[in-house]
Amino acid sequence: MKTYGARTALAGVSFVVRAGAITGLLGPNGAGKSTTISIIATLLEADSGMVTVGGHRLPGDAAAARRVLGLVPQRLALYPTLTARENLRFFARMQGLRGAAARAAVDDALALVALDGRADEPVAQFSGGMKRRLNLAAGILHRPRIILLDEPGVGVDPQSRERIFEAIQGLVRSGAAVLYSTHYMEEAERLCDDVVLLDDGHVVASGTPGELVVRTGMTTQVHLRTARPLPAGWCDAAAGARVVGDARGPGIAVAVDDDGAVSRVLAAVMRAGGDVVELSVHHPNLADAFFRLTGRALRDEDGAKA
Amino acid sequence: MILGGLGAAIAKDLRLLVRDRAGLVFLAIAPIIVITVAGFSLASLYGTSARGTAPYELPVVDEDGGRIGRALAEALTDEPDIRVHPVASRDAARELVRGHAAGAALVIPAGTSDAVAAGTGAPLLLYTDPLKYLEVASARLVVEELRHRVENTARTRAAARLAKARAHALATRRRFERAAERLRRERARVVEALAAARAGAERRIEDARRRAAHDVAAAVAAIAAEREARARARLVEELAPLRAFFAELDARQREFATWLAAVREKAGRFADRVPPPPAPPVVPPALAALATADPATIAARLVPSGPPATMPALPALALPTPPPLPDLELPVFPEPPSVMLPGPLRIDESSVTGAPARVNTFDQNVPGFSITFLLLGMLLGVSLGLLDERDWGMLERLRAMPMPFATTLVAKLLARFLVGVMQMVTLFALGWIAFGISLGPEPWALLLPTAGIVFAGTAFGLIVAGAARSREAVLPVGSIVIVTMAAVGGCWWPIDLEPAWMRRVALALPTTWAMAAFNDLMIRRQPLAAALRPTAVLLAHGLAYLAIGLALFRRRTA
Repeated sequence: MKTYGARTALAGVSFVVRAGAITGLLGPNGAGKSTTISIIATLLEADSGMVTVGGHRLPGDAAAARRVLGLVPQRLALYPTLTARENLRFFARMQGLRGAAARAAVDDALALVALDGRADEPVAQFSGGMKRRLNLAAGILHRPRIILLDEPGVGVDPQSRERIFEAIQGLVRSGAAVLYSTHYMEEAERLCDDVVLLDDGHVVASGTPGELVVRTGMTTQVHLRTARPLPAGWCDAAAGARVVGDARGPGIAVAVDDDGAVSRVLAAVMRAGGDVVELSVHHPNLADAFFRLTGRALRDEDGAKA
Repeated sequence: MILGGLGAAIAKDLRLLVRDRAGLVFLAIAPIIVITVAGFSLASLYGTSARGTAPYELPVVDEDGGRIGRALAEALTDEPDIRVHPVASRDAARELVRGHAAGAALVIPAGTSDAVAAGTGAPLLLYTDPLKYLEVASARLVVEELRHRVENTARTRAAARLAKARAHALATRRRFERAAERLRRERARVVEALAAARAGAERRIEDARRRAAHDVAAAVAAIAAEREARARARLVEELAPLRAFFAELDARQREFATWLAAVREKAGRFADRVPPPPAPPVVPPALAALATADPATIAARLVPSGPPATMPALPALALPTPPPLPDLELPVFPEPPSVMLPGPLRIDESSVTGAPARVNTFDQNVPGFSITFLLLGMLLGVSLGLLDERDWGMLERLRAMPMPFATTLVAKLLARFLVGVMQMVTLFALGWIAFGISLGPEPWALLLPTAGIVFAGTAFGLIVAGAARSREAVLPVGSIVIVTMAAVGGCWWPIDLEPAWMRRVALALPTTWAMAAFNDLMIRRQPLAAALRPTAVLLAHGLAYLAIGLALFRRRTA
C-alpha cells in the first residue's frame, strides 16, 4: 500500500514479473503505474506490503536491488548538450562499470538501439524517437536482470517504436524480466506475455492478454450501418449471431460466436432488404476488457469511442 | 471584434500574471527588498538615516590636558555624529581601530596647547582604518571643524592684539617722521661743508702740482747742463793729443814738400829721373773733423741734452680733514607689543590597520562583485542545474542506480565548488592584471576565504534547489536572496556605509565574512591569520547550508 496524505495511490497490488518475459502494467493515467514502478525501482517506499526485486526485499535490500535493476523512465532523462556516447559513458560509470567493460557496454547499447552511427552527436540534435531509444539504452546498458520500462513508446515515431520493441524483445530473449508500463493497449497486446490491469491503485485483473479478454466473456462484434431500417428478427436466421446494443454509435451491433458467423450476418441483412452502407468487425481486446472490468476507458480517446 | 479580442488578450495576460507567483514576487517584492536594503545601507552616505543616525565611536586620547585639548574634547562631546570614547593611551586607541571597533581615533599630543600658543603649531594625530571611509571622513570632518574653531578663537585674540600694535606703530612712525626731517636738514648742512672742503683741497693740490713741476724741470735742466759741460771738457781733454798729432803731421808734410822741392832742384836735369815719393796716408774726414771742429759742437753732438731718466718724486698731497657731522637726536623706539599668531593645528593622519591612505576602489569591487556573480553562478549552476536534472528525470534515474545518490549529489556540488574556485581565482587574477588590485602580503591566503565562500555558495545553491517548487521560482527567489546578501554583506559598497544595526544583521550572512576576510587580506594587508576566523565562519555557514539543503532537496525529490 502507498498513500499520499488522504489519497490512496496503491492498495492490494500484487503480481510477479517472470524472467524471460514481458509483463505489461496497463492502466489509465493516474491508475498507479508510475507509483508501482517507482516502488520497484527503489525510488519510493511502500507504506506496507512486500516488494522483492531479484530476490532482494525492499526497502531493506534496496542497494542490492539497484544492482540488478535497469530503469527506463518515462521522461527523457538525458543530458542534451552531451553526445549519446558521453551520456551512456556517464551512466555506465554510475552503474559501476569501468574501462573496457564500460566502453563495450556503451558500444553494445548504442548498437542495440541503432544509434551507433550518431553516437558522437549531441543529444539535443536528436529526434524525439532517437532520444527515446537512447533513453532506453541508458537504462539497459549494464545488462540488468530486471528492466523497468515506464511508457517507453510515448511520442515515438513508428520506426523508432519498432526499434525499441526489437531491443526489448532482444533483452527478454537473453533472460531479462521486463515490467512494461503503458496505457497503449496495442503495445501491451503485441509485446506482453503477461498483463496486469491497474485502475485507481488496484489490480483489476492479471494474466495473459488472451486470458483477460476471455475472462470478460466478450465476443467478436459486427457493426453495421444500413440504408434502410431492418425489420425485427432479421438476425434470427443467422446461427451464432445475436443483436446487441451498439455502444459504438448509431447502427447495429451483432455479437458473433466465431468469425464464420460474420458472413451469415451479412447474408441475413441482405435478405432483410437493408442495403449495407458500412460494416466493420471488432475483435475484443485489452481495452475492451479493461472497460468491461472497470467501466472506464484506458485512454481518453478510448473513452470517447466507447 | 478587435477591441473584444484586445480585451480578452489583456485579461488573459493579467490572469496569467496573477497566477504566476514567482513573477509577482519579481515584480513587486524584489524591487521593494532592493530599495529597502539600498536605502538603509546608503542612508549614511547622504547624511541621513531612515532609522536615525547611529553615532560613530571615536576614541580620544588627550595627552595634552591643556586649553586646546580641553576645547577639542569638549567640542567633540557636542557632536551628534560622534560618540567620544576617552582612552588612556595611544596603544589602546590603535587597538580599538585595528580591532574594527572604531574607524578612527584622535590623539591630542602632549604640549599641543603650548605649541599652538607659541606659534609653532602642533599636530593632531588621527589613527584611521582607511577602509572605514565614511567613519574616517566623518571623524576627519569633525576634527577639521574643531581645528578651525580653535584657530578662529586664537585668530580673534590675535587680531585685537594686532590692532593695539598698529596704534603703537603709528605713533612711532610720526615720531620718526619728525626725526627724519631733522636729519634731512643736518644732512644738507653736512653736504655743503663737504663741498667747500673739497674745493679748497682741489686748489691746494693744483698749486702743489705746479710747484712740483717747476722744481722738477729746473732740477733736470741743471743736471743736463752739468753733464754737457763735463762731456765737453772731457772731449777737449781727450782730443788734445789728436789735435797735436794732426798739427805736427801737417808741419811734417810741409817740411817734406820743401825737402822734395830742394831735392828736385838739386837734381837739375835729372830731376825727372827722381821717382815720386810715396804718398802719405789720407786722413779720414771724420777724424780730421774731430781735430778741427769746435769741441763744444762735438760735445753737443755726442752728448744729447734732455731730462734725466729718473724724475724727482712729486711732493705728497694732504687732503684737508672733513668737518665733523653734527650729533643726531634719535627718539627712543618703543618696545613692540607681544603679538604672536597662533601656530597651526595640523592633522597627521596615519593608517594603523595596514591599509593605504588611498584605497584602490577595485580592491573593494573585485572581491565584492566576484562574490555576487559567484553566488549567481551557483544559483544557475547548482539550483537550476539540480532542478533541470530533477525535471528531466535524471535524478530519478540516478537514484535507481547502484551509485549512492549522495555520491552523485556531492560530486555535482564538488564540481561546482571547483568551478567556483576557478571563477574566483580567474576574476582576482584579472583584477590584479587589469586594475592593479592588491593581493595582500600572502596572495595564496586569499584561497581560504575563497574556498569558504564558494563552499557556502554551493551549499546555498542546494538550499534554493530544495526550497524552490519549480525552475521558474529559482530566479526570483534566489536572486532576491543573493542580491540582499551581497548588498547587506558589503559586496557592493563598504559595509561601513551601513547603519550599525544593519551591520549586526549582516553578521548572519556569509558574504559579510567573506568580504571581511578579503578586505583584511587585500586592503589592510593582513597576514593569513586574519582570514582564519572568517573562513571558519564561512565553512560553518556552508555546513549548515549543506545540511539544510540536503534535507530540503531529499524531501523535494522523494
